Amino acid sequence: MFALVRMRLTGFVRTGRALAPLIAGLVVLGVLYGGGQAQAGEAYGVSAAVLFPVLAWQAKLLLDAEPDVQRRLALVAVGSRYRELVAGLLAATLAALVTVVVALVLPWLVGGIRGPRSAGEAPLSEGITLGVWAHLLAVPAAVALGALASRAATRSTTYGIVVLVGGAVGAVVMGLKNSVAPWLAPPVMATARALSGGPDGVAVVTLTLQALLWSAAVLTGYAWLRRRW
Amino acid sequence: MRLEDVWLRYGRRTPWVLRGVDVEISPGEVAVVLGRNGVGKSTLLQLAAGVLRPTRGRVRDRPRVVGWVPERFPADQPFTIRQYLTSMGRLRGLSAAASRDATGAWTERLGVVPYLDVRLPELSKGTAQKVGLAAALLRPPDLLVLDEPWEGLDAATREQVPLLIRQVRDGGGAVLVSDHRGETARLPGARQWSVADGTVSVTVPESEREGMAVVEVAVPATRAADTAAALRAAGHQVLRVRQADPSEIG
Repeated sequence: MFALVRMRLTGFVRTGRALAPLIAGLVVLGVLYGGGQAQAGEAYGVSAAVLFPVLAWQAKLLLDAEPDVQRRLALVAVGSRYRELVAGLLAATLAALVTVVVALVLPWLVGGIRGPRSAGEAPLSEGITLGVWAHLLAVPAAVALGALASRAATRSTTYGIVVLVGGAVGAVVMGLKNSVAPWLAPPVMATARALSGGPDGVAVVTLTLQALLWSAAVLTGYAWLRRRW
Repeated sequence: MRLEDVWLRYGRRTPWVLRGVDVEISPGEVAVVLGRNGVGKSTLLQLAAGVLRPTRGRVRDRPRVVGWVPERFPADQPFTIRQYLTSMGRLRGLSAAASRDATGAWTERLGVVPYLDVRLPELSKGTAQKVGLAAALLRPPDLLVLDEPWEGLDAATREQVPLLIRQVRDGGGAVLVSDHRGETARLPGARQWSVADGTVSVTVPESEREGMAVVEVAVPATRAADTAAALRAAGHQVLRVRQADPSEIG
């Protein structure tokens, strides 16, 4: 299975498809940090939210990089539908983690994060920890959405774009403060809001559970769509 | 391996491609899949290889190591032949060294050594097809599924295909091969699976038909399917299952 993960990551990088989402991510983060400095928690919360569609797009591009027939050849070679599917998700997760590392490091290079200015503000270490958590929370949800939008699941470019854009817009709209169905979206907006105010333990657990459940539900849909091919 | 009452369609609103297909292939056996274009030969082969899952019915006892050569090799990939084949070897569970060795041996045999470091998109159709063939054989397959393997190959390699098939068969592997060019005339003794109107009929080669006898057995209707399966498992060929006329059972 790890040989397939490596092969897919290599293909993704060599075809040049890895560049577009990376550049898009840098542009989005550039705009975010171009406005001035913010506390670590607040900045990272927004960073994770704006990166969510980029990470989902990246996952879709990675899974779509391989020709359909090669995906079938890989399935026959590894001899298990489950291993083939998991290898794709694992490759997409690893690619997403690279982007997350860039997103976590970038603000330090451009001076986008400041430390606490008064005793009432959260210490820097807490802001960084929560920022890492926020980004890690966005990864499974983004990979799940990207997988659901991939050609293997939708079997159509148009449907793939509709799912990706619909999922990204839905995450914002359903994640607004007064949303009627916040559970329909991955909690990227809710996480950003929580980080700006300093979340308590209950909020961290609740948001983590919501993100994992949402990702599991979407991944179940992905596996169901791919049950026959 | 056995396809039991297999039905397949690609979507709920699309027509059935295969309807109630019931065929089997044993180790050391070669079957040629025949039929017009678009009749479902590739679909049947992909079901056998495990690429597709039946919409209804099931595929039983598929061997562990399957080699599948698609009709068109997916050459639009950023790898050289060497990189591609060694990666595919690793996917098949070979160690890095074994994968390199198998790549060396098969590229040598199929005459693609001069192109080992050429990227797949730059290969001619025939050379790309050979890469697909090599990828399926990197690990000796228990079931080799070849979809029109002669397409695009040069004369010398076309001659190689029956030899490769025989090699897999002699090693105890089963081979399924589709053909619309009549190339399988070079595979004497192969069974023929004819695909038409969504169903598959099997023709046993003449050499096997000689010296055969037909035994008629009556069983309760509820046990008919199990009995047929047991007879097939015992290596017998079940010609048909029919409703008994009460007068013929003494």
